[in-house]
Amino acid sequence: MTDDLAVLDNSILDELRASVGGDEEFVRDLVQTYLDEGPQHMEQIAAAAGSANAEAIVRPAHTLKSSSAALGAARMSAISKEIEFAGREGRVIDLTALADRAQQAWTDTVAALKEAGLAS
Amino acid sequence: MSGVALVVDDSAVNRMLLSRHLASIGISSREADDGAAALSALREGAGDVAVVLLDVMMPGLDGYETLAAIKSDDALRHVPVIMVSGVDELDSVARCIELGAADYLPKPFNPVILAARVRASLADKRLRDVELENAAAQAALLETIERQKDELSRFLSPQVAALVSSPEGQQMLVGHRREATAVFCDLRGFTAFSDSAEPEEVLGLLRDYHKQMGELIVEHGGTLEHFAGDGMMVFFNDPVLQADHVARAVRMAVAMRDRFAILAAKWAKLGFELGFGVGIASGYATLGRIGFEGRYDYGMVGTAVIVAARLSSKAEAGQILLNPRAHAAVEELVVAEDVGALELKGFARPIPTVNIVGLVELSAAAPA
Repeated sequence: MTDDLAVLDNSILDELRASVGGDEEFVRDLVQTYLDEGPQHMEQIAAAAGSANAEAIVRPAHTLKSSSAALGAARMSAISKEIEFAGREGRVIDLTALADRAQQAWTDTVAALKEAGLAS
Repeated sequence: MSGVALVVDDSAVNRMLLSRHLASIGISSREADDGAAALSALREGAGDVAVVLLDVMMPGLDGYETLAAIKSDDALRHVPVIMVSGVDELDSVARCIELGAADYLPKPFNPVILAARVRASLADKRLRDVELENAAAQAALLETIERQKDELSRFLSPQVAALVSSPEGQQMLVGHRREATAVFCDLRGFTAFSDSAEPEEVLGLLRDYHKQMGELIVEHGGTLEHFAGDGMMVFFNDPVLQADHVARAVRMAVAMRDRFAILAAKWAKLGFELGFGVGIASGYATLGRIGFEGRYDYGMVGTAVIVAARLSSKAEAGQILLNPRAHAAVEELVVAEDVGALELKGFARPIPTVNIVGLVELSAAAPA
């Protein structure tokens, strides 16, 4: 069901634009920052899942959840939230599958942002 | 506004967004990507940071630990901290408020709520700063007043210093009439002595004399109006009322004469021959502030003052001369000898005067 969510929620992106007075350059900078720091969180998620470390997966998932939400990356935010909760509840067994879905969501998000002309 | 906001979040995206929203309401910001960086930014930028926006979940020192560190640091605890937190973390928000957070800001950020919360925190802080400044100013003022009182009590007699700083002081300073006793005393042979002695010797002797006599003035509750060289004027029954003001004056004079005898014996060995004479008179007088803007003294004006001064100048070494009114008040207490009616400058009729030989309790104890 998480994977049914829009990769990019345009209404949130529009709200973001409006909140910064339509400063498109700022939005593009923000997206670039997101793309720059995202892989690092993805790596931490993958590593934690690989070593079945539920505790270590919580923080990168949490961070990715909120930064994705800020940019309207709805699907990425939702899967990150699932991972964060699985980590908190110690559901080690779910982590690998969740990390794989996160990787897929990340790839889709990057593509969507490029398609929206927000990233090169 | 003064000061910047410190944005603490491990996500660069969140930091960028928060800083941007703050900039749009005229608040510049500094950024820290974890708790440790936040604490060092706060400690380095000390008074500069006016508000902290603190993420809860961060690597290293998390939001709770950072908040606790800020609130346990005396130099930082006054800085308001707004926790930045997801709506699904309300439990943690409650915990942060208990730890001393000023408020919380839900993620994703709503710029309007952000502006409102930050402004409210800054207004709180400004209020607190003003209160702190006021408290500091008040403390400084009180300290100044205490110091002035202290200084004042060195220049004025203790009673007058206390009067000046008391609520009814103004009224008393204006001037009032009451019965009082004036005492004048000075040294016989002082002019000749100061003419022949070295200045250091003169000053040394005067210091000794003032110290000894000063102690006796305080001990008997006299108000020292002034001293000039070897001469001193002391009055009683003002500003503090003293029912036995004449007796106090006479006891003080006798004590001074005794104390002087010790000093004189010491000086005699150095070859200085000095004597001590006193004039005491009581009567109604006006007391209060005397002088002119820029230099006032607390003084006593009246016939008794002039009589006491004249008696003092008539007194031979070792004499304590009293006017009739003063004598009448202490007749039972003293052994006095009649010295006749003295012609005093400025007085039409001679004034019957007595010399105090001693106090009754002392002469009774002495062998006849």
